[in-house]
Amino acid sequence: MSKRTATHATFVIEREYPHPLAKVFAAFADPKSKAKWFVGPENWEKSNHQLDFRVGGKESVSGGPPGGTVHSYNGTIWDIVENERIVLAYDMHLDEQRISVSLATTEIKPTPTGAHLIYTEQGVYLDGYDDAGQREEGTQQLLSQLGAFLNT
Amino acid sequence: MTTIAHATIAMERTYAASAARVFAAWSDVEARKRWSAPADNIRIEYKAADFREGGKDVSRCIEPDNADYVATVTYIDIRKDHRIVFAEDVVHGNTRVSAALISMELTPKGAETRLALTMQIASFDEAGMEAGYQFGWNAALDNLAKEFVQ
Repeated sequence: MSKRTATHATFVIEREYPHPLAKVFAAFADPKSKAKWFVGPENWEKSNHQLDFRVGGKESVSGGPPGGTVHSYNGTIWDIVENERIVLAYDMHLDEQRISVSLATTEIKPTPTGAHLIYTEQGVYLDGYDDAGQREEGTQQLLSQLGAFLNT
Repeated sequence: MTTIAHATIAMERTYAASAARVFAAWSDVEARKRWSAPADNIRIEYKAADFREGGKDVSRCIEPDNADYVATVTYIDIRKDHRIVFAEDVVHGNTRVSAALISMELTPKGAETRLALTMQIASFDEAGMEAGYQFGWNAALDNLAKEFVQ
């Protein structure tokens, strides 16, 4: 894997949550709430989620299968409009290897029955370690976990 | 209700220079000051420049009517002579108008070097910043060729 490659891709995921806009936004803004749903698969070793929710603030979490590769997420928040949008840039590492950099936009819009969430990820996948298909699948899982968290 | 316009813009150029020289024109802020202004009547002033992973650049782009845009760049991935990936946000007045993820890749082609620039942009001012990126970077990449004239 010594060859340098960079593959760009964009994916969009939309979800409807039957909850008030402010509640959905708070699930992103409140560190204790976000730590409950923004986590890897159940059998992964638990990781320490950190979130400083302000423009310029950082978010980080890491984890992985017991004894296996450590997946690390490190983000910086670039833009916040309360109850409307969050824009952050993040990179992912597998152990020491940086595998991707992404610009992630979360938009939340009110609907008669709750909130409509639009997640857009514009990413660059580096040196062939990951691709947009796997990332989209992982993000679908996270947004399902968000739905389950909102229902609790 | 704000609306975000997402766009991806890709540009390519081939320069008569080695990958090391093209890379140096990006890593050296003095070189960047020469080629990054898109027009003679637009000035770029750097308030900070720190070319390393995690480092930040802060620059002001000042247009002839004195309108100014402040860009903050964070370098995320740097592979010397190969690529640079950075995130950038742009503030106009008191308003953040865009966030973007930008990557620059260099591929040697004999004595020349092909540069591929990909901008993944979220514009908060409808598609205004998308047009701004298109104009600004097209002109800057043309200017960059002048760095390599003997």
